[in-house]
Amino acid sequence: MDIKKTLIELCSAYGVSGDEFSASDVAKKYLSKYMTKVTVDGFGNVYGDMNFGRKKRILLDAHIDQIGFIINYVTEDGFLKFSPVGGVDTRLLPAQKVYVISPNGDISGVITSVPPHISKGDEKATNIDDLYIDTGLDGDTAKRNIPLGTRAVFCAEPKELLGDRITSPAIDDRAGVVTILRALELVGKDSGYDISVAFSCMEETGESGAKMTSYNAECDLAIAVDVSFANAKGEDKNKCGEMGKGAMIGISPTLSKEMSKALIKLAEKNNIPYQTEVMSGETGTDADAIGVSRSGVMTATVSVPIKYMHTPVEVVSVSDIENSARLIAEFLKDGTI
Amino acid sequence: MKELLKELCLLDGISGDEQRVREYILDKIKGFCEYSVDNLGNIIAFKKGKNKRDKKLMVSAHMDEVGLIVTSVNDDGSLNVDTVGGIETSAIIGKRVFVGEKRISGVVGSAAIHNISKEDRKKAPKLSDLSVDIGAPDKNEALKYVSVGECVTFDSDFTELGDNKIKAKAIDDRFGCAVMIKLIQSELDFDTFFAFLVQEEVGLRGAKAAAYSIAPDAALVIEATTACDIPGAEEEKRVCVQGMGPVVSFMDRSTIYSKELYSLAFEIANEKGILCQTKTMIAGGNDAGAIHTARGGVKTLAVSLPCRYIHSPSSVADMRDLESSYELIKQLVQRI
Repeated sequence: MDIKKTLIELCSAYGVSGDEFSASDVAKKYLSKYMTKVTVDGFGNVYGDMNFGRKKRILLDAHIDQIGFIINYVTEDGFLKFSPVGGVDTRLLPAQKVYVISPNGDISGVITSVPPHISKGDEKATNIDDLYIDTGLDGDTAKRNIPLGTRAVFCAEPKELLGDRITSPAIDDRAGVVTILRALELVGKDSGYDISVAFSCMEETGESGAKMTSYNAECDLAIAVDVSFANAKGEDKNKCGEMGKGAMIGISPTLSKEMSKALIKLAEKNNIPYQTEVMSGETGTDADAIGVSRSGVMTATVSVPIKYMHTPVEVVSVSDIENSARLIAEFLKDGTI
Repeated sequence: MKELLKELCLLDGISGDEQRVREYILDKIKGFCEYSVDNLGNIIAFKKGKNKRDKKLMVSAHMDEVGLIVTSVNDDGSLNVDTVGGIETSAIIGKRVFVGEKRISGVVGSAAIHNISKEDRKKAPKLSDLSVDIGAPDKNEALKYVSVGECVTFDSDFTELGDNKIKAKAIDDRFGCAVMIKLIQSELDFDTFFAFLVQEEVGLRGAKAAAYSIAPDAALVIEATTACDIPGAEEEKRVCVQGMGPVVSFMDRSTIYSKELYSLAFEIANEKGILCQTKTMIAGGNDAGAIHTARGGVKTLAVSLPCRYIHSPSSVADMRDLESSYELIKQLVQRI
């Protein structure tokens, strides 16, 4: 499987929380290559199952949604008032190009930027209340074509940087989706567990999808595959992983110690580059919801380090996806938990 | 006009690095006028009209655009940058760029929002908090592709918005360049000097030299100016309004314009039924600041295209204003 190509195709699909179907359909297409029964439910969650008659079932989860915007008002002049969906960095919004995903097709727009003569000194960052989307449409046309509740996304085609790095919006968490697909390819029929896969919706707005998918999966253990912070200028390097240094294995009071240890052991044994990510409580990923699903699930996190999370210019290294996938594949093959 | 503007906006040319724009323009005006390129890189063109003009007229626009310059390379391969021209950090952060002669793709990153304190989220990021990431894993690798001192430009396409708008980088002032190319390619009634200028965004520097060389009696500066006709800005704070035609200003922060030429512009607009407006705030400035004090003084007027989100990768202009501005400028060139 061509990781780069798959990631680019997945990142090109839209899936703002609560409206994930375009992205879910692309993910379903890929998942169907590795699993026989793949479905998308009414929310946009993608499910796949693969049974080998093993004792235990593992859930591999990545979230399919991405941050974005939701239109909540249209002015008389046709400007669109929006609210963030998920944790959007307001400071970088001015003059961003966006697509408004209207029922009649994508509409290009630009987020307004308040010129210095009316902004209140440069110490203050942009206030999201002052920003609108400018589509160039007049009020009537805008209101006719853009019903309230329409989503908008950053408009930026995935693009290759130097080496094996890719920049795009939605790498959080399409990188996780690709990691799982690649792990399934690597493990083939050698899994020591029955496998369920969920590409869950609405993670960015409170892990709602994972609550549903983990209930339905009825699994014994789970790995949540998400992205985490790679060190970059302005970050605290003690709190970040490093790009290109492999999968970030989560260690936290809310995660299964046994699984974290097994993952580290398998990485060492198979010479797979890895790093640890220590968290002091909940992880901010689907693992938080999955861990307390039904009567409880042993859960681990394997995260792909990315830079500039929740921006239109997220950056990932393909090698980190490959190494995360290798690690998960080894865990599946091992099957000793 | 739209096609010409599109091609011009897509060219990279921050202040001091205007050669791609200059070559494009030279190619377009060749055969339509006499021209020379001066020591700074300004194009000074002389277009013969059907008649001699009593007084010398200089029409000008600037070729440069705002951007960034690489100042140093960090150990992690990311690039530190400084702004060239007036750009706010909010226009840079989270945007895509091209770096250097090799046009290496890069992105402007900062710490993830999750890792920024609540207080800092309310502040504009400092330039020193940002860096340009070209994907290089370390300093050595980065230096294979980029050198210190190289230019960084916005990676921004030219898109139509809605029915009448366009979005691009560098509309300020490739619009002026496009208008002048069209005028040079057309037949003019009177002899006219056209100056395509460098280094406007870093202190109106090209204009100083060119105005000295041409020694005009009158000057017409073609520009793009801030339109703030967006929600939250009321009355005079809007500065000017898109779709209402070119902006003719009486005063900005660099110039008090010629009353005579100001009146002439509105007279012509009235006579020919061209929409035309003035600026409702004393804000901004342009090459007129340098030109009107050249030698013993030059009667100067600026005609500007209303431009939203100016000095950002996504400037927005109204195509109706493009046309009405061109009409007014054409008339002014015949009548000054």
